[in-house]
Amino acid sequence: MTALRPLQLAQDRVDHPFWQCERWVVSAIDPDIAGQLAADLPREDFVRIIRTFEADLGRLAQQLEAAVAARDIEAYRRAAHSLAGAAAAVGATRLERVARVAMDHRSAVDPASLAMGVRHEALAALAELSALADNPPGSD
Amino acid sequence: MAGAAARVLIVEDTPTQAEVARALLRDLGHEIRVAETGAAAVEQALAWRPDAILMDIELPDFSGFEAMRRLRAEGLETAIIVVTAHGSVNHAVEAMREGAVDFILKPFAKARLTVTLQNALEKRALASELRDVKAQLARDRFQGFIGASPAMQAVYRTIESVAASKANVFITGESGTGKELAAEAVHRASPRRAKPFVALNCGAIPRDLLESEIFGHVKGAFTGATETRLGAARTADGGTLFLDEIGEMPLDMQVKLLRFVQTGSFQPVGSSKAERVDVRIVSATNRDPWAEVEAGRFREDLYYRLYVVPVEMPPLRERGQDVALIARHFLASIAKEEGKGFRGFAPEAERALMDYPWPGNVRQLQNVIRNIVVLHEGQRVERAMLPPMLLRGVAPRPPAEPAPGLPEPPAMPSPMPSLAPAAPIAPPPPEAAAPAWSPAPEPAPPQAIEPLAVVERRYILAALDHTGQDVPRAAALLAINPSTIYRKLQAWKAEDAKSG
Repeated sequence: MTALRPLQLAQDRVDHPFWQCERWVVSAIDPDIAGQLAADLPREDFVRIIRTFEADLGRLAQQLEAAVAARDIEAYRRAAHSLAGAAAAVGATRLERVARVAMDHRSAVDPASLAMGVRHEALAALAELSALADNPPGSD
Repeated sequence: MAGAAARVLIVEDTPTQAEVARALLRDLGHEIRVAETGAAAVEQALAWRPDAILMDIELPDFSGFEAMRRLRAEGLETAIIVVTAHGSVNHAVEAMREGAVDFILKPFAKARLTVTLQNALEKRALASELRDVKAQLARDRFQGFIGASPAMQAVYRTIESVAASKANVFITGESGTGKELAAEAVHRASPRRAKPFVALNCGAIPRDLLESEIFGHVKGAFTGATETRLGAARTADGGTLFLDEIGEMPLDMQVKLLRFVQTGSFQPVGSSKAERVDVRIVSATNRDPWAEVEAGRFREDLYYRLYVVPVEMPPLRERGQDVALIARHFLASIAKEEGKGFRGFAPEAERALMDYPWPGNVRQLQNVIRNIVVLHEGQRVERAMLPPMLLRGVAPRPPAEPAPGLPEPPAMPSPMPSLAPAAPIAPPPPEAAAPAWSPAPEPAPPQAIEPLAVVERRYILAALDHTGQDVPRAAALLAINPSTIYRKLQAWKAEDAKSG
């Protein structure tokens, strides 16, 4: 199972019947992780995790942007590290990948555009996780 | 611990990750706490003593490895599972070197976390069990006993196992092996420890008085019964009644004891009213109890009632290095008691102690050490200070069975905190063991009129002979202090040496 197809491709093809069937392939979240969590835990626990994740995202994205503005590379990498960890825990693999690029001191990608990418992926992941909470695997 | 609810400390600075772990573990029924920094982890772990720690490596203040080092330095024994991200497997290797029991890759599924945690808890439980077992196997002291030999470890284990139950215990062993101490150990290790331990030597009590001693009597029950008196059974209510030398109990008394053991009730002598008590009975004998049954001297039904859990006290000759351990203990305590400066044994002296078969067991060893301390000065016990019988290295084997009617002297435990008076240097009667020093001449029947010193010598030697060289008993018979006898023996030895 791969969840690492390019974001643009997923957005272009998302309405196609094939991508409807293969929804997880292009998803912002990895169903092996997020779906398993939703299946393993009572709904209220899963919802609590999403709320915590949401709070983490808000705080860490803000820290990341503040670090970009202040050109504080250490704070930037610390925030990116925490974001990667939080994202990995809930299976937000696309967000994790962007955060890991930001963590990498060899990366040539502009920090400001990475910070924007983080915001974008965070919103996508949150939306899918919320949908998963409303409709966990096996609930059909 | 494995399978049961455990205390788990999650060390994680990212709330989402902590919440995922907490939800998965809580769902397994574990009690969870979270620490977000290394310092908080160390503080919580030391205060809360968790069974397991899920340790993240990258923490805001210091690394998870440093937290592990600090916990280990504090002696905390917790199963630590290191949580590491994909691509940082090197961390896992380092974690294992730092003492982690396992590692788990993030993100983890419930099944993986369950198995990892359960394995870690089982490993910790086994390690703890192994440590306890090793500590038990290596222990050289137990409830007043001194000894690390396998034979004594077996005794300790039996006593520990039986202590919690109400089962009657039957202790066998040669004279001087510590049967009474074993009975006390059963009592002290039992839930009855706060209640009385009452010891009764059945061989030392005149047969006419035995029933009254055990069950008590009412005023006027017999001539001389001027007051109602509680017996040992009533006094021991809730506790333990130790019947030493049970083999000496007359058969008619055995019938009454059997009824008491069966029903828990008895009638004091002269009373028509039955009384009920709750006592655990520990019996002891230096004879073979089944041989006594076969010989018709001990009731078979009573044997089965009392011989529920046997404890066999090993003779000292089968206890290997325990001889040296006990000898050192006695030397320290007797030297202190006598105000002497002895601090240890010369290697040759210790070797001689180890080589001797000790037919009188721990009691004989204790008396030899007392003899040495009383008669000599110095810091170290030299081989030349040992009684000749030890240097000859030959001692009579202990009798399988002492002569009926001759009560065994009260058992002298190996590790008496405050030592009782010295007992015989030579083994207990009736074996004809030579005393540490056998002065000439042999006691003779009293003549008409003799010098007082001669009479004194003859009487003391006669008393020693009568008691099988048991100095305290001889002293008790003569109504003098045991140290007087030791001094006299030393003086006579010097006199005899001078006169050739």
